[in-house]
Amino acid sequence: MFGRTSPGVLCGLDPVRYTLAGMKILVCIKQVPQKDAPLRLNEKGTWIRDDASWETNEPDAYALEEALRQKEKHGGEVAVVTAGPARAAQVLREALAKGADRAIHLEDDRFAQLDAANTARALAAAIEGENFDLIVTGLQSDDFGAAQTGVLLAEILGIPHATIIIGIEKTDTGLRLKRELEAGHYQYIEMPMPALLTIQSGINKLRYATLIGIRQAKTKPLRKVSWADVEGRLSKHMQRIERLYVPGSQKTTRRIEAPAAEAAKQVVDYLKNEAHVV
Amino acid sequence: MIHFREPLENVDRPQMEAGVVIVGGGPAGMACALRLAQLIDEHNAAHPDAPLSKEGILVLEKSREPGQHCLSGALLDPRALRELLPDFEKEAPLDAKVTKESVWFLTEKGQHRFPIVPPPLRDHGNYVISINKFVQWLAQKVEEAGITVFTGFAGSELLWADGRRGPETARVTGIRTDDKGVDKEGRPKSNFEPGYDLRAKITILAEGTRGNCARQLIQRLSLEDPNHAQTYGQGIKELWEIPSGRIAKGEVRYTLGYPLNSREYGGSWIYGISDTLISIGYVTGLDYQDPRTDPHHVFQSFKEHPFARRILEGGRMIRYGAKSLPYGGWLTIPRIYGNGWMLLGDSAGFLNAQRLKGIHLAMKSGMLAAETAFRAMLSGDSSAAALSAWKTAVNDSWIRDELWRVRNFHQAFEHNLLEGMISSAIQQVSRGGNLGPDSGNRAGHLRMQPLDLIGPPDLSSTQTIGNARGDGQLTFDRLTDVFHSGTRHDEDQPCHLVVQDLNICTQRCTHEYGNPCRYFCPAAVYEMIEAEGGAGSELRINFTNCVHCKACDIMDPYQIINWVPPEGGGGPNYDGM
Repeated sequence: MFGRTSPGVLCGLDPVRYTLAGMKILVCIKQVPQKDAPLRLNEKGTWIRDDASWETNEPDAYALEEALRQKEKHGGEVAVVTAGPARAAQVLREALAKGADRAIHLEDDRFAQLDAANTARALAAAIEGENFDLIVTGLQSDDFGAAQTGVLLAEILGIPHATIIIGIEKTDTGLRLKRELEAGHYQYIEMPMPALLTIQSGINKLRYATLIGIRQAKTKPLRKVSWADVEGRLSKHMQRIERLYVPGSQKTTRRIEAPAAEAAKQVVDYLKNEAHVV
Repeated sequence: MIHFREPLENVDRPQMEAGVVIVGGGPAGMACALRLAQLIDEHNAAHPDAPLSKEGILVLEKSREPGQHCLSGALLDPRALRELLPDFEKEAPLDAKVTKESVWFLTEKGQHRFPIVPPPLRDHGNYVISINKFVQWLAQKVEEAGITVFTGFAGSELLWADGRRGPETARVTGIRTDDKGVDKEGRPKSNFEPGYDLRAKITILAEGTRGNCARQLIQRLSLEDPNHAQTYGQGIKELWEIPSGRIAKGEVRYTLGYPLNSREYGGSWIYGISDTLISIGYVTGLDYQDPRTDPHHVFQSFKEHPFARRILEGGRMIRYGAKSLPYGGWLTIPRIYGNGWMLLGDSAGFLNAQRLKGIHLAMKSGMLAAETAFRAMLSGDSSAAALSAWKTAVNDSWIRDELWRVRNFHQAFEHNLLEGMISSAIQQVSRGGNLGPDSGNRAGHLRMQPLDLIGPPDLSSTQTIGNARGDGQLTFDRLTDVFHSGTRHDEDQPCHLVVQDLNICTQRCTHEYGNPCRYFCPAAVYEMIEAEGGAGSELRINFTNCVHCKACDIMDPYQIINWVPPEGGGGPNYDGM
């Protein structure tokens, strides 16, 4: 239904295609509230107020940079996509100014709070028939932090994925990747294309938009996709945030005055029956 | 060892040809760009065979998004806007029409309402606005009109034709933008992007108060008359959410007096943006005598006065900002044109100190400059002679009418408040004149007194000197406030507050003035710390805190601090302010 049904076969049969035509790359970008800025809850207490300042999700910026570098090395095309209200066009403009070739904007206020699975469904619907060789996105968003949208998109498209990527090298048959694991350990994997990768911040050094780039961005194509265009592909079951709140300070200290053995018992009793942590 | 920002040498810089470069995307720059677009559209409609292109018109703005470095109360007198966009009321982001106004004099514990609102402070017909949203909207208009606003680009220095320094003979040939991707030692990083050399027929400086390129221009061409030097105020502002019922939407209150004493110039504003949101701020004249005066502290003390406390208590501070404003008035406006350059808005000093308003004047100055620039585009002549038409247009416009009659206003308050009020009453009836000649005006930092002359603080000024500590509810220390300004700079870049001689700080200033940079900076940028090895103290510059207010550049008594733009995109984020 989406993308290629047997990516591995296609990749194996036709490796030359990538060298000749270059890579067709998609970068999924999200606009998130500016880091470190004071945030306030909305009146219903279901999310933050929309009058925050917004910026490109940081790992997505690294994903874009990586896509641009791959294109510079191997040729091809970089498209960027976002799902969000009109204000989210800012992150697309920025990406176009840095060198992306075209943009797709799923534009509707409802995209702002859409859950990861449905965002992935909407993105998949919006790029149907595009057949990207590589899709990259940040490993997670700075606001929801679910780290789900990328991998769900891969699943829907029926292409393999890998997460927390800090190195990409194109090979004759696909990709050689470096993944960041815990505690300074890395994993190296080989992967066929098409594929989806979620990118870790710091994989590269971000470039600046240039004056020429900003000027050229004006004439680059920006395709808009409406809610109605993708609504049919969304699940009827959507996640919704019921309540968001700032945790109150509840620090209380209880002092247990007893001989050591008795005190230990009381501590265990507390942890078991009141705090429910053991 | 602090490494200061300077343009990199021996760099192959990209060159770009331009017709008109507008440096600064505030009300002046945006109004200029929009008017220029309108004139070109009109021309192209009338002359389809010989259309003019807007491609060569560039607006540079150092903030990441338009309007993020703009700060004002703000009240908008819509006069200029109405001329520019007659239908503005349908779509401009105007928060409230002014419904109610009052002026108060505060003593330490008391408050006295002026029986009448002095005519200049009558604000009916004006609007309470967020200047940030307003400028964002103007930027959108400019973009829709086909002119590109390049955000994240600062003008770092002017380009000159040659070594000539005469105002009539020197020629500005364009502007260099900021170098990006320079590390804190001044070395290019792997993503280094050298600043562009934009070669422009006309360079229009609309950088706001104490623009860095405007300052280069004014110094190089000796444009400032020392007897009519520009003087400045430092505005400190917070946005507060308050319980409803305390102030009406569109209500405007001004105060004079406490916490400043009668020797110092300044006053407060409170504007009702909505029933539950207010803009509150205090302007302190940057011509005070006591080097320990802290304008941020003055504002915090004002909030503790019952007059303000009653409004704020139980509310919550949500945003903070600080910015200087020029209020020397008409007589301090330097030459505003020359070969290839024009000076607009607050960079020139188009602000009415009596009405505390400058947005409409900034916009009008931009619109008139656009008309001259348009004619220069047609004729290809951007010489001082051609651009002098702009000065003539300003003289023939309501800008001069409005500013001429208040030309002596701020100067009247130079000695004290009472004298100022008497003089301004005389000026009110004499259309701006004094009983004698027009007043002179020396630079504000010259009034700062050395510590040994000023002696220990007297009790009446403890609320204005030294840094405010803040109670965390009603009042705040500077770092808490800076956090609410959304300020951000890449840390790995050279220090953009260029101190020409650090020895003066420790060897002279510490003894003579007690390092007033620790007090006039509203963002806690300057700190005196123990020197390495314990040999006395040294200056630390926390430049990433800088809110781009320019107070240090203005008020430093030795004039050795040079504010230059940091990497474009850095600075405060005044979204919604």
